[in-house]
Amino acid sequence: MSGTYARPEALVSADWVQEHLNDPKVRIVETDEDAALYHMGHIPGAVEIGWHLQLQDQLRRDYIDVPRFEALCSAAGIANDTTVVFYGDNANWWACYALWAFQLFGHKDCRIMDGGYALWKAEGRPMTTEIPSPTPTPYKVQKADEAAIRAFRDEVLAHAKAGRPMIDVRSPDEYTGKKLHMEGYPQEGALRGGHIPGARSVPWKRAINADGTFKSADELQALYEGEIGMKPSDDVVAYCRIGERSSHTWFVLKYLLGYPKVRNYDGSWTEWGNLVRVPIALGEEPGKI
Amino acid sequence: MPAALDEIIEELRDTDRQERIELLIDMAKRLPPLPDRLAHFKDEAHRVPECQSPVFLVVEIDGDRVRLFADAPIEAPTVRGFVAILVEGLDGATVEEILTLPSDLVERTGMPEILGMLRVRGLHGVLGRMKMMVARAAAVDAASRDRAN
Repeated sequence: MSGTYARPEALVSADWVQEHLNDPKVRIVETDEDAALYHMGHIPGAVEIGWHLQLQDQLRRDYIDVPRFEALCSAAGIANDTTVVFYGDNANWWACYALWAFQLFGHKDCRIMDGGYALWKAEGRPMTTEIPSPTPTPYKVQKADEAAIRAFRDEVLAHAKAGRPMIDVRSPDEYTGKKLHMEGYPQEGALRGGHIPGARSVPWKRAINADGTFKSADELQALYEGEIGMKPSDDVVAYCRIGERSSHTWFVLKYLLGYPKVRNYDGSWTEWGNLVRVPIALGEEPGKI
Repeated sequence: MPAALDEIIEELRDTDRQERIELLIDMAKRLPPLPDRLAHFKDEAHRVPECQSPVFLVVEIDGDRVRLFADAPIEAPTVRGFVAILVEGLDGATVEEILTLPSDLVERTGMPEILGMLRVRGLHGVLGRMKMMVARAAAVDAASRDRAN
């Protein structure tokens, strides 16, 4: 492994976490796909933040507002200068999503624990079912720069029209349009299959090893720069179905490869595939507008 | 609805979110492993495609009763817990009882309050697949009895 990650401090090892379990400046946060997993056992002292019920607004399709984010951090014992380390199941899908959401509110020091829940458990590290009750901390959102990391549909349309780089991180069947919505579950579906014209297919999982850790900087470069020809100077948009898998790729591009301009389109396919009159490409070719 | 399932649902409904998660985890831990004679059914034909986690269902018809077996990873306790509810509540039920289960069973178990509305799809998938497998197994069983006559 010759190359190193562009922002190596954003990724911490399980060893690092174990050494900082009692560090008052560090808060460990578990965010999972499975809502019961945290309660089966978690890293001692880790709090749970649910991606859906806690980070998202339950009425409008959006994230919680600033006062609610402040209350959430306060209750979790997170202060403005706390180092927040996220981990979770599914090779840190939701951990990356939670980190991205924390960045929407401008939280400074956010990190991912490499390998997530599965590796911590597989290595037989300490776990507990005890739910911590942190002392509430003062928290005030300082400077949030949502526009730098979040893309909305009109911006994505302009981006596609300009032929700028886009990554579709869903499975190949979703990309080609073979898979539509699930029969009988319209609340999860899109009315059209395919991808945003110009988007290249790089399923999110290609950025990880079998044990859920991230691939090396060289391997990631070979993937995103060698295979699909992106450059660090590119203005990149990543998307998936609801923006969680693309948070993972967003983290890789932004922190591990150090691309300064990467945005996550959280509307993703559940928005694009339902929008009236937007262009869609079918099949394996990226296509163009 | 079979009394055993009704009882489990009552118990789940009587709880707050935290207690419900605990109950679900208890159920997940209690799910018996697939009997050795059925272990080879952990294949694509018995997998629930709507679930991201590998969930396997095996259905047998024994007289007028349905035998239900399942496997799901402990790392996915929600789905394993839901599968365990079905196995505990429906093993030994009649074909008719299973095919006429209400389509909002997932909602009745209070899963949306645990998972949020977005992620109950996989559970609907488990229920739908189970009904389909029971219907198919019952049809095969009826056909073989016809032949025997």
